[in-house]
Amino acid sequence: METAITVQGLTKRYPNVLAVDHISFEILKGEFFGFLGPNGAGKTTTINMLTGITKATEGKASILNHNLATEPVEAKEHIGVVPDTSNLYDEMTAWGNIIFCAKLHGVPKERREKRAKELLETVNLYDRRSDRVGTFSRGMKKRLMIAAALVHEPEILFMDEPTTGLDVQSAREIRGLIRELNRMGTTVFLTTHYLEEADVCCQRVAIIANGKIIAMDTPEKLKLGTQAQQAIEVSFDPAVNLDNLRGLSHVKDVVVAGDKFRLYVDDSSEALPFIFDFAKQNQLKIVSISTLKPTLEDAFVKLTGLRPELMTIEKEQMKPNEVKAND
Amino acid sequence: MTKAWIEDFKRAIFIAEKDVKIYFLKGPNLIFGLLLPVSLFLSFSIGRAVDISFATPGLVAIAAFFGAGAIQAIALPLERRTGTFNLLLTAPISLFAIVLGKALAGFIYGVILSLAYTAIMIPFAPLPNLPLFLLGILFSSFTFSAFGLLLSAPFRDIPQAMPPATVVRIAMIFISGVFIPLAAMPTFLQVVAYAMPLTYSVDLLRQAMGGLVNVQMLLVDLAAQVLFSVVFLAITVQVLKKNIE
Ligand SMILES: Nc1ncnc2c1ncn2[C@@H]1O[C@H](COP(=O)(O)OP(=O)(O)O)[C@@H](O)[C@H]1O
Ligand SMILES: [Mg+2]
Repeated sequence: METAITVQGLTKRYPNVLAVDHISFEILKGEFFGFLGPNGAGKTTTINMLTGITKATEGKASILNHNLATEPVEAKEHIGVVPDTSNLYDEMTAWGNIIFCAKLHGVPKERREKRAKELLETVNLYDRRSDRVGTFSRGMKKRLMIAAALVHEPEILFMDEPTTGLDVQSAREIRGLIRELNRMGTTVFLTTHYLEEADVCCQRVAIIANGKIIAMDTPEKLKLGTQAQQAIEVSFDPAVNLDNLRGLSHVKDVVVAGDKFRLYVDDSSEALPFIFDFAKQNQLKIVSISTLKPTLEDAFVKLTGLRPELMTIEKEQMKPNEVKAND
Repeated sequence: MTKAWIEDFKRAIFIAEKDVKIYFLKGPNLIFGLLLPVSLFLSFSIGRAVDISFATPGLVAIAAFFGAGAIQAIALPLERRTGTFNLLLTAPISLFAIVLGKALAGFIYGVILSLAYTAIMIPFAPLPNLPLFLLGILFSSFTFSAFGLLLSAPFRDIPQAMPPATVVRIAMIFISGVFIPLAAMPTFLQVVAYAMPLTYSVDLLRQAMGGLVNVQMLLVDLAAQVLFSVVFLAITVQVLKKNIE
């Protein structure tokens, strides 16, 4: 596979802070790559360096083999950018903005209008095409920014926290749109501080904290890599004493979790029969039982040492059937 | 190579066109641009006998000066504050083309305003060399636009960009031979005046107005304005480059 983005030792030093600290990675064509980290980690600074908004202090970055420092115009031909704050003209209409972006990217005159219509329809804004962007809601603006970023059919799409601050419905729509683009072949570089978003959307995730990449892998491997144990949550009727559960075979630790017990195990399938036996022997009714797998959140907490609350987990944004292992 | 160059220039034109639409056709800017030269002129000439053919070139030059420049104190800083400048930075255009696009927009506004003044003054003051006068308007407008751009380049918002630009412009008006002929000024001010683009603009327009053309001085006026424009644009590019570092 060819590489879409190559980054070597990329660094950004501001007078008082080392915002990005010698990061290196390669992203393949067609990949959906996530940059996950808390506020202030250096995500926006990294995107800004990769898209020409700011210059790197040190290191090298190239887009489809065009070095951003020496061939910025060639590199930028291939990218679409959705920054964290609006880059569109409030004074202009939705239509006017898209057409202007098309012109900036050299889309031929005869293609512009067709493309603008297509894109506005895709993001459900065609009916509002003649309205000034200043009157748009946050979610509408974000959708229009995505449409504007796609007007020249870029091979690589950069998105800086595209769902942050949006309502559940808008966030879901945007996530769906990005995944669809990726399915059609667009390489996606997405930053997020939503663990679940990284988990559900990205093929590969880099975890960034204090300007450094501390881990980079597929979400599944990151979870395994933490060696966070699996867990089983169970509640009995009548309630039992914690110590009775400690001695169970394959159970390494037990904690109380609300009205349930959480049993940490290496492998749920081995431990489950012993739990059923235990219930039978003690004539207990199992009120509920479920197995919990390590989540990206476990991996994140373990790798960064940060509290998961820092990541403003917005569970309601995500699929309701996802179960969390931590409180 | 040439093709890339032409494509870059085309995109500069698109930026100019967008700027003209957004900022320049906003009513208040236009009216401010039109009124300021008039009020400056009136406040200066009240109680004096005014020679219309001496005043006209100065007024038209000021119209170009404020028309092209005042808007530059708004357009670029606003773009930087709102984040739309990032749209330009991430697009496949050279920084020079972005700056050129902005300069062209100010140029168009300067031309419109100074033509408006010329139209008002023509009935009162004969214009023996109209083509040269128009050439003067074109050159002046571009130079002043580039100058305005340079004055606004260091700033990220309008409140910071406005005061220095206004102060510099008004100061320049008083030492560029607009109201007082250069010859009537002390020597050291004359030296300062020759370092000001407005001086060459006024001289050129005045020559067109007077009918008597000093070819050598005319060439100096044109060359000086081209030189000023190039230098202003180049420094603006450097300032912006520094800013995105
Ligand atoms: N223009 C700037 N000047 C100085 N410091 C900055 C600037 N931009 C970002 N920083 C600092 O760099 C660090 C990383 O910021 P940023 O990349 O915005 O993080 P994130 O997008 O992950 O929230 C922060 O400490 C931030 O304060
Ligand atoms: Mg950010």
